Amino acid sequence: MNTYNPITALAVFFALSILAFLFFRPYRGWFWLIRNSSVSNDKIVVEDVLKLLYHNENADKHLNINDIIRTLKYNDRTILECINKMSDHELISIQGDNVKLTQSGSDYALRIVRAHRLWEKFLAEKTGFKEAEWHERAERMEHELSKVDADNLSSQLGNPQFDPHGDPIPTNTGKIAKIKGIPVSELPIGTIGRIVHIKDKPEIIYKQILAENIHIGSVIRIMEKTSARIEFHSEGEAFVLAPIMAGNITVSVLEKDVVFEENLARLSILKENETAKIIGISKEIRGDSRRRLLDLGFVKGAEVQIDLMNPLGDPKAFLIKGTSIALRKNQASKILIQKD
Amino acid sequence: MFNHTLMDTKKIDHIISLSNDLRWQIGDEFHDNLAEGIYADAAEIVKDSVHKKDEKGTFRIDAKIDKIITSRIWGFPLMFLILAFVLWLTIVGANYPSAMLSGLLLDTVHPALKGFAAAIGMPWWLDGFLIDGVYLAVAWVIAVMLPPMAIFFPLFTLLEDFGYLPRVAFNLDHLFKLSGAHGKQALTMSMGFGCNAAGIVATRIIDSPRERLIAIITNNFSLCNGRWPTQILIATIFVGALVPASYSGVLSLAAVIAIAVLGMVFMFLVSWGLSKTVLKGEVSTFNLELPPYRPPRFWKTIYTSIIDRTLIVLWRAIVFAAPAGAVIWLISNIYLGDASLAAWLIDSLDGFGFLLGLNGVILVAYIVAIPANEIVIPTILMLTVLVTGISAGEGAGVMFELDSVSATGDILRAGGWTLLTAINLMLFSLLHNPCSTTIYTIYKETKSLKWTLVASILPVIMGFVVTFLVAQIWRLWS
Amino acid sequence: MEVKPKSACETCAQFNADGLKKLGVNTTDFDYVVALAGNPNTGKSTVFNAMTGLRQHTGNWPGKTVTRAEGAFEYNRQKFKLVDLPGTYSLLSTSEDEEVARNFILFGKPSVTVIVVDASRLERNLNLVLQILEITNNAVLCLNLMDEAERNNLEIDTRTLARDLGIPVVPTSARYNRGIPELIQTVSELANGKIVCKPHRIKNIPKNIEQALEKLSAEIKQVYPDIPNSRWIALRLLEGDKNIIETLKTGEFV
Ligand SMILES: Nc1nc2c(ncn2[C@@H]2O[C@H](COP(=O)(O)OP(=O)(O)OP(=O)(O)O)[C@@H](O)[C@H]2O)c(=O)[nH]1
Ligand SMILES: [Mg+2]
Repeated sequence: MNTYNPITALAVFFALSILAFLFFRPYRGWFWLIRNSSVSNDKIVVEDVLKLLYHNENADKHLNINDIIRTLKYNDRTILECINKMSDHELISIQGDNVKLTQSGSDYALRIVRAHRLWEKFLAEKTGFKEAEWHERAERMEHELSKVDADNLSSQLGNPQFDPHGDPIPTNTGKIAKIKGIPVSELPIGTIGRIVHIKDKPEIIYKQILAENIHIGSVIRIMEKTSARIEFHSEGEAFVLAPIMAGNITVSVLEKDVVFEENLARLSILKENETAKIIGISKEIRGDSRRRLLDLGFVKGAEVQIDLMNPLGDPKAFLIKGTSIALRKNQASKILIQKD
Repeated sequence: MFNHTLMDTKKIDHIISLSNDLRWQIGDEFHDNLAEGIYADAAEIVKDSVHKKDEKGTFRIDAKIDKIITSRIWGFPLMFLILAFVLWLTIVGANYPSAMLSGLLLDTVHPALKGFAAAIGMPWWLDGFLIDGVYLAVAWVIAVMLPPMAIFFPLFTLLEDFGYLPRVAFNLDHLFKLSGAHGKQALTMSMGFGCNAAGIVATRIIDSPRERLIAIITNNFSLCNGRWPTQILIATIFVGALVPASYSGVLSLAAVIAIAVLGMVFMFLVSWGLSKTVLKGEVSTFNLELPPYRPPRFWKTIYTSIIDRTLIVLWRAIVFAAPAGAVIWLISNIYLGDASLAAWLIDSLDGFGFLLGLNGVILVAYIVAIPANEIVIPTILMLTVLVTGISAGEGAGVMFELDSVSATGDILRAGGWTLLTAINLMLFSLLHNPCSTTIYTIYKETKSLKWTLVASILPVIMGFVVTFLVAQIWRLWS
Repeated sequence: MEVKPKSACETCAQFNADGLKKLGVNTTDFDYVVALAGNPNTGKSTVFNAMTGLRQHTGNWPGKTVTRAEGAFEYNRQKFKLVDLPGTYSLLSTSEDEEVARNFILFGKPSVTVIVVDASRLERNLNLVLQILEITNNAVLCLNLMDEAERNNLEIDTRTLARDLGIPVVPTSARYNRGIPELIQTVSELANGKIVCKPHRIKNIPKNIEQALEKLSAEIKQVYPDIPNSRWIALRLLEGDKNIIETLKTGEFV
């Protein structure tokens, strides 16, 4: 027993570790691949077809079978089988070339949309996932939430009407609110409005908008407008967008008497021995974290200054309402201030 | 309770739907406006009733201390020095009372009890079971655990009362952020230094579920009171013996600190690993209130922390040690064929133990000690005596008089222990499954079998891997 | 509003000593339930220990207490069960870490709520105080850490404060047992209805919210005519609090 070669032992160990890694590494490990492929994909395909039809019918577009096959990234045979099955179950009706949703098909589609948007809302309010990741995660989750799950989630979130992109969330009876607003590209100079919707399609433009740090709920003011570019100010920063991007952002115009704060800065740039006044919290902070900041005293008008620096630079402690409260930089950068 | 009429139920439904409508009319500024409104009220009230007598406050001392404690140069060295100082006091201070207690309980009381049992004609099995099993295990736990805990806990409580812990969390938060965890995990890890179960309950202060789960799973990497004495003892016997006596204290202290710091390193690594894989997600918010320093009430703190924490924890150790002592005695005296159950277990685990640089005795001890880590060392000693057949004992499964640390070392060396065994035992004591109380607490707090399982098994697997690697490298070298 | 004058012999050890008996963990057959609420790290557990003679863990960092603890004391032959709660910044949030405290304050139906605040950080502490006062009619403000406030040269006019808040205010330094006898006496008087509070209601609520609150709370009062805090329930409904919706259906808060 005591005569063995450590090198052999190490070699066996590393071989086993590599094997384990190949099996269980996230997403692409063999274990996951095998497990996922054994799960029936039909439900997902059916639901994706329903959703596709629903969104297109909303835009008054009608699809034929070929369109569906082309748009969805599944193999042709699976899609055809599913379409047949769906028509057997009267979720869709096929008239000539056109595929249409039946009443029960459209109810089903609404349920998926509801689950999707609720999950996005959940990700936004309760988790720290990046905004760009929400959609993809919700695409996966929407197939897993049952109707009861969705209802529970909805009441847990306080029955929200809109998802974090500003899209309406269908109620459990299938009612859907309307977005009222005007695209930024059509607003006259000087208008003050609140962003109510950002289109998440096409994805390239959506990601660009996100990269600019533009968020639902922010108040903006149009500063300049030409045929090539639109400039507006929001939360203390200037944004310059091409009209095609601006067209995907919808705002609701605010009444005349709102004050629009200029010269805003972020709490993160405050230096030692400077004092400032809090103007508000960026709309990028939502849900529980926003409430917590408010409860800690980061409310409009509060005086703030730096209390402590950190040996590693982050977080910093801020003196607010007589107490020292440490915040990380990514949060402090979303608190709007005006330096004294 | 209320019995609703149908009318009422309808009205309530109406109220709820009305509230939903109103919520959307008010819009998403609701919470902001409300919070501002409440603070506005608060400001008005305070303006009427609070007056500052003279402008220069006494916040100054606090600010000065804070400047040093969180400074770029001193922040981290100070943290390290404080940890070292606390451990040094614990190790050095515990030596003498420990020797005294074991002299009393093991050398004087034990033979007296044996004599008494013989005098009243107690049957051999009852005598063995009660006095050699239960009593010896309890006595050992008291002798070895009481002194270090009676020093460690009060010191720690003094730091806690002073207000140092939140500063540690503040200083370390950046590292936690890099590993995808929450800075308040530093606080829960500190609580874990006392008891992991308490540390796990303390994770409730972490308000996001993902980060809280990470904190729960990794809490085991902070050495709890049941494991400090093991570390201290083994370090003193084996590591301290490497150098001349005058330096041995320093070296064993360094070894113990190294293990504690290694625990933190593993905690960061595992947190990072979890947050990159199964617990993927961005770090959500972090906010931490830094309270003013409050000079602790020295004697009162010392008194209450000895009475409450030390004695309560000790009591728990005894409660678990007694049945464990009994179990050890039983497995050493129940025979399967011609070998006792214990010998049989040890034999079958010896090969695997050797591969890990440990031995069968240690692995069996860790199985017996699942209820409480405190009893690992006494179990190891009893079982070692059993397999080596050293005749100092008074029968199978009996712990014998260990009047000094060096005697303990002699037994262990007789059992084939080397420096490698000692180091790997220290590592394994850091990296193994949590005790049963902690496992139960994890289940209560997560309400998930899956995560309880992960939190229980992950550290043992890591323990196997680490000790295995250390053993192989060690053997390649020598 | 009645404000108790500062007792002349508050430092005297005999003060009310005959009426008080600390009962430790013996919480059977109590007459009244008293809750200890407040921001984190304001000394709730220290007050708890001073009143019950127990040794709840205290520590100078927010979040030391995370589970509720119970103890008891007897005063003038009445038994009071005291509940020490984890600290909260607010009752308006839905965050999990504050759930224990929130639920007890809202649904535990304490006879008296002792709100422990840090005297030198009164303004930020009032955030929670004002919220609690929306819920309950029987509360006392325990102005703790007075020794620190004095060291910071703060002068607090407890009379004005009591008048503004509409509840009794008792200055204490729980760590040194100062003010605890007065606190116990006030709690007893509140429980027995000898002091009647007229709690402050939040005034600076924006108009649109106020209107919505009035509308909702009128409707709630139709179903539950006797509840004192319909406005708070309305507030929580507007927030979409699931717990409140449930209890509205069952009527558990009545
Ligand atoms: N100087 C002074 N310190 C006090 C007083 N009361 C409490 N403390 C200290 O304040 C700190 C916090 O006290 P705790 O009783 O743990 O506070 P808590 O409100 O229970 O805190 P959480 O459980 O975290 O919400 C401890 O260090 C106490 O010793 C007081 O009246 N004066
Ligand atoms: Mg407490």
